[in-house]
Amino acid sequence: MGKVVGIDLGTTNSLVAYATERGPVVIRDASGDALLPSIVSVDAAGTVFVGREAQRRLLTDSVRTVYSVKRFMGRGVDDVQGEAHLLPFRVGGEAGGVVRIGVGDKEFTPPEISAFVLRELKRRAEEHFREQGEFDFEVDRAVITVPAYFNDAQRSATRDAGRLAGLEVLRIINEPTAASLAYGLDQKNRGTIAVYDLGGGTFDISILKVEDGVFQVLSTNGDTHLGGDDIDRMLTELVLAEIGTGGHGLPADTVQAIRKAAIQAKIDLSSADEAVLAVDRAAGLPDGFTRDITRQEFEALIRPLVDRTLVPVRQALDDAGLDPGEVDEVVLVGGSTRVPLVRRLVQELFGRVPHSDLNPDEVVAVGAAVQADILVSGRREMLLLDVTPLSLGIETMGGVTSKIILRNSTIPASGREMFTTGVDGQTAVDVHVLQGERELAADCRSLARFRLRGIPPMPAGLPRIEVRFQIDANGILSVSAKELRTDIAQAIDVKPSYGLTDAEVERMLIESFEHAEADFEARLLIDARNEAESIVFATEKSLRRPDFAQLTGHEVTPSEVASIEKAVAALKAAIAGTDREVIHAATHALNDATRHLAEVMMNNSVREALAGKSVEDV
Amino acid sequence: MSAQPLTVRSVTPPECRGCNSSVPVDEHFCPNCSRIQSLGRHGDYFAFLGLPRKLVIETQELDRRFRDLSRKFHPDFYYNASPAERLASLERSSYLNDAYRALKQPVSRIEHLLTIEGLPLGKDEGGAAKVPPGLLEEVFALNEELDEIRDLRESGADAATLAARLATARTPIEAKRDEHERALAAASEQWDRQGDAAADARRATLESLRRLLLERNYITNLLATIEREAAHG
Repeated sequence: MGKVVGIDLGTTNSLVAYATERGPVVIRDASGDALLPSIVSVDAAGTVFVGREAQRRLLTDSVRTVYSVKRFMGRGVDDVQGEAHLLPFRVGGEAGGVVRIGVGDKEFTPPEISAFVLRELKRRAEEHFREQGEFDFEVDRAVITVPAYFNDAQRSATRDAGRLAGLEVLRIINEPTAASLAYGLDQKNRGTIAVYDLGGGTFDISILKVEDGVFQVLSTNGDTHLGGDDIDRMLTELVLAEIGTGGHGLPADTVQAIRKAAIQAKIDLSSADEAVLAVDRAAGLPDGFTRDITRQEFEALIRPLVDRTLVPVRQALDDAGLDPGEVDEVVLVGGSTRVPLVRRLVQELFGRVPHSDLNPDEVVAVGAAVQADILVSGRREMLLLDVTPLSLGIETMGGVTSKIILRNSTIPASGREMFTTGVDGQTAVDVHVLQGERELAADCRSLARFRLRGIPPMPAGLPRIEVRFQIDANGILSVSAKELRTDIAQAIDVKPSYGLTDAEVERMLIESFEHAEADFEARLLIDARNEAESIVFATEKSLRRPDFAQLTGHEVTPSEVASIEKAVAALKAAIAGTDREVIHAATHALNDATRHLAEVMMNNSVREALAGKSVEDV
Repeated sequence: MSAQPLTVRSVTPPECRGCNSSVPVDEHFCPNCSRIQSLGRHGDYFAFLGLPRKLVIETQELDRRFRDLSRKFHPDFYYNASPAERLASLERSSYLNDAYRALKQPVSRIEHLLTIEGLPLGKDEGGAAKVPPGLLEEVFALNEELDEIRDLRESGADAATLAARLATARTPIEAKRDEHERALAAASEQWDRQGDAAADARRATLESLRRLLLERNYITNLLATIEREAAHG
């Protein structure tokens, strides 16, 4: 058995953590960064970049770079029309089907894009375990977090992403609940907790009761399309509106440069009263753009957005049967809770200062690691009892929803419903499963349609088919059916409305194995380029030193310098290509060309150091 | 050879799938091998939670039992178990959650008691289909009042007048609701005292609980109607 980790698969950033005997640890990359930007870029050659590298490519090759893919998980094309216009990548797919994201001539489903992010986190964790000297460093299982308000399709899409990344998804848990676990670690307290989680793309509120180590969610609510992304978009649109043309026809890369400046201004305004929205000159923006923005102005702009979070908060309190004053602790989670206006409004609503002692970016991943540890270790001191955020129902006569499992029911939860036939000898019944609170089926989320087949032919109304709906601890639905008179289990073909079938996931998995070799090649190419770039950088730095002549004591001839420069140019050309062997060869050639230079510089610096010493010694 | 008494009902106790020993129906775990048992036909939330079939429940005691059983059944702790045990854990957890939800609120608790005592509320009885005989007078008066309010609104009466009239309409219904809450509480206590009473006395209590509950549900709907009317204005 390999290692097990907890993963926060975020809209903006993703993290991976694991449990140790001394408590949970967030895994960082070589430069100490825990956050992996949830950005995936695929270049023309098909090489996949994830994280910081992909983020850089947003400014140079934005049409091939995908961000905020979490907003598209488990959703249909018709859902996302409104928000695709500012995105550089193509958002499409068949009407009534899952979203497909176009990058160059390739198309990906959102779970496939997310799988790239998960694979990178898996790789990061494995590298960490290898460095720790672990013999068995493979990461094969994970707990992955989702917004509490995610519906069945969005959860299933997340689980599919895990499978595509080669992970067994032990459990899908809710982000606010995960955060409460992380908080519960050091304070073994009891009472009522409200977790306010405003992330990059989603908002959740969960009200929990903690007693005896049991974290029982009383109610949850939220909005899966509300987060920091929307703040960024408002600021970006503000700039676009102020640019003469209204921003129409700007190249995608320039829009991304504006978005980057908007994000920076937003961050600055969390600590300063005034910030500058500054965009360098770029294509379509010959003079650049600069504008001051005060916090007051910023808050007036985003106020409606923050107010929108308070509606679900009040609903969740109401569902839990609590007044704001009855909540003992308020916990802030998610990067967007750094915005002072958010803090102020939450504090006003609850009448108490919210907690934010744990890093709001990391707390969810920490909680996921704790839950992963509970699952594999069988420790029973802590237990999460979560709820299903939305009611589950079926469509009945006249397009009305009949609810079977109510929202805020503790999961796992089950419900059953009896069906019969309307025509003599009828052998099949169609069932439409929905999620949502609205009366009309058309206003609820369509989860799946299925057909109960193999009903023994009987007069109309006689068959008694019991359909059992089971929501598991992941908040994911499964359906089974039985004809009670004959005790015959019914075959069910579920067609998810906005998800992938198992067969589709299988096919993608096989394809990803087929691509694994290509992916491995791509990784080696990236490594080769990185190594080559660092050598080019170091060489050019040495050659450009003002004290070059002095440093080399004129031992390096101009012709030698010329041949080094030639080797540098050759390596740069090789880096621009995609042949790893050529890069390696050019790297070796540059190493050879600079060997004498390096020796001379080394000797001289040693001599100088010794000389310095001797002077002092005298 | 003397005649053997006929077995009218053959009760085969369920068998543990782990060790094949027989397990009493209310046991969650096999007394022999302590494996979690699959959930057979069960229907009594009180017995499932190990509570007497009584209507006055100490909330803290119910919460404690819910937490304790959650710790025993939850799928988190069966991650490495056999598929049969994992299914049993899922079924028992789901059932426990249902049971807790039903027993937590006094009204749903009474409803569940009526179900297991053989007097379940029908599917349509909760709605507004039929006016309970005990409420005819109030419903008649309310409907007249609401008609007048609608007429007033159409003739352009101001909001304050309408609000005052709605408050007048609401008052007797709210009084009726409070009266029913008290009557339900009293009947519940009576049920709890009747543990050893004769079957027909117990039956009478159940029937009055049933009647009160139906009336109470009807009153709740009436109040909702008034709220809707108020929202119109």
